[in-house]
Amino acid sequence: MAVLEATQTRALPRTMLGWVPRLAVMAGLAYLLLVRMPLDEKFAPIYADAAIYAIVGLSLNIVLGYTGQLSLGHNGFFGIGAFSAAYALTVREVPFALTFVIAGACGALFALVMGVVALRITGLYLALITLVFGITLENSLFEVSWLTNSGAGQPANRPEWLYSDTRFFYFCLAFLAVAVYLDFMLLRTKSGRALLALKENERVAEAFGINVTAFKLLAFVLSGTLAGVAGALFAYRIGIVTASGLGFNLALLFVLLTVVGGLGSRVGVMLGGLLFASLDYVLHETWAHHVNDFVFRWDSAPQFAVGFLGALGLLLTIVKYPGGIGQQIRPITRWLAGGPFTLHDDRDSGPAAVEGSSVRA
Amino acid sequence: MSVLEVRDLSIRFGGLQALSDLSLDVNEYEIVGLIGPNGAGKTTAFNCITGFYTPNSGTVKYRGQDVTKAPPHVKARMGFGRTFQNVGMVKSATALENLKTAQHAKAPYDVASGLFGFGKTWQGEREMTERADAILDLLGLQHIRDQRVGGQSYGTLKLLELGCALATDPDVLLLDEPTSGMGPEESDELGERLLLLRKEFALTMLVIEHHVPLVLRVCDHVYVLNFGRLLAEGTPAEVQQHPEVVAAYLGGEAPEALAATVEPEQDLAAEAEVEPAPEPRKAPRKAAARKAAPRKKAAAEKETS
Repeated sequence: MAVLEATQTRALPRTMLGWVPRLAVMAGLAYLLLVRMPLDEKFAPIYADAAIYAIVGLSLNIVLGYTGQLSLGHNGFFGIGAFSAAYALTVREVPFALTFVIAGACGALFALVMGVVALRITGLYLALITLVFGITLENSLFEVSWLTNSGAGQPANRPEWLYSDTRFFYFCLAFLAVAVYLDFMLLRTKSGRALLALKENERVAEAFGINVTAFKLLAFVLSGTLAGVAGALFAYRIGIVTASGLGFNLALLFVLLTVVGGLGSRVGVMLGGLLFASLDYVLHETWAHHVNDFVFRWDSAPQFAVGFLGALGLLLTIVKYPGGIGQQIRPITRWLAGGPFTLHDDRDSGPAAVEGSSVRA
Repeated sequence: MSVLEVRDLSIRFGGLQALSDLSLDVNEYEIVGLIGPNGAGKTTAFNCITGFYTPNSGTVKYRGQDVTKAPPHVKARMGFGRTFQNVGMVKSATALENLKTAQHAKAPYDVASGLFGFGKTWQGEREMTERADAILDLLGLQHIRDQRVGGQSYGTLKLLELGCALATDPDVLLLDEPTSGMGPEESDELGERLLLLRKEFALTMLVIEHHVPLVLRVCDHVYVLNFGRLLAEGTPAEVQQHPEVVAAYLGGEAPEALAATVEPEQDLAAEAEVEPAPEPRKAPRKAAARKAAPRKKAAAEKETS
């Protein structure tokens, strides 16, 4: 730690001059991301997935990061969003834009039910109940014939102007921007402060006049809405919704990308989404082109590798870096936001912040 | 007109009668002290009054309105500001954030418009920051404005907690041991501060306090609790002379000990907090045995954190 402190650079004064390098770096990053990114019809679906995952990550972050409740049932809200949007569009012939409202509302409704449960049960048992909720939905509602087109899958065709995958990626990005804005506003206003207060100490929150019950429900409803909308995007991304892709694996992936991305860190969660959306592709590519051809053949290796890397990332996050990717990049994000550049980090959040979990150093 | 009217309040925890038939009144613009040995039920009384516990019987009236069953956050909105025995604040947040969190109920915008950034959101946030700054100035805590609350000294925390209670814009302030963790000088300073705050904000206060000089200085009326029962009440001077009160604190009638309480330096009430075993005590030995019993009760009683 002493070494870290010794290498700390001096804080830049918060003058107009201090913003020049920051804006330059931001412009550089924007250039890299928006202009130099290899964006074509081949890569666009991966980026779209990344944006969708990022929305789910932000959604899960509200429940897991801000109120400290582990939900293993977010595949449920996500799936309900996907199915309700597809059903509304294809069977009921609802206008395209309205399907997102329906998906969000359905996600919110189911999340409200889950929130009512979470009022009574917390920690590990809530995690179990959400897990059962997700699995039950997968095997019940997602198998109902009118919803799933008799099991063949509910088609969700994009309107003509969105046929291009590149365009659809930008479409997802717009939704992500709205989600980021909502998350930003949540943290900056009284609702976010209320959530933090009730996560730390419910009695204190009550003494401050915060309606703990209402805000716990609000957290779940907000989370469910975002997950539902993300589900709708996912439906349009793959074009046909079936139960098979919406199982427990997906819930696990969501928790993984949120925790490894960094609980409580907006940028971290988004990077986590990008990481897990691209991991599959990257591994398949590198394996196919480098290992399989030159070392030895093992075609299913990438699938194992994804799980392995995910587990490794989770382990590293929990044991060494509780703030995940967000913690690693915080010196940079803090500097870009106008703060001083220091490697020292005084805020720690992470899995240890989840109720009923602990890590021995 | 009495601001708080508590009548026959009783509460049991399992086999423990934590409070039995407690009645007390707090009048407008009064500072009322609530004292008693450890485990006497003072904090339990606070929790019943502020809605954290629902009493088994009895009523709590606030300005004539029965609020016995109102939940804590509703009472906070009504104008009950309270502090906790072991500092109730959001430890990972800064002093400023805590003061803004405490203004939750008085925020000039609603949750939905806050989420979308509509209406008076930003203006409201600015107003809340200004009010928080004003409180920091008032308490002389401006230097910890942007520091995390978790790392501060206990005395500073107690003072900031008082600030948070003020930030809820209370009508009646319930302070649970506001001077714990403070030295005698700081405690005296706090006494002056309480009088000043009462004047400035037209506050009514109910204070649990062990620091006798402070009680003598600021309280208009004192209630003494022992084993969940009201032992005595009256002006601080009257209570101090009350033989049963002296007996409760020291165990047995000891005239010289009674004389000792009159001297402000002799903080007998604080002494009652000290573990009885190791050091020699002025009080007779059986007093230690009597005090040991309430201490067990104190452990059983769920104190607020």
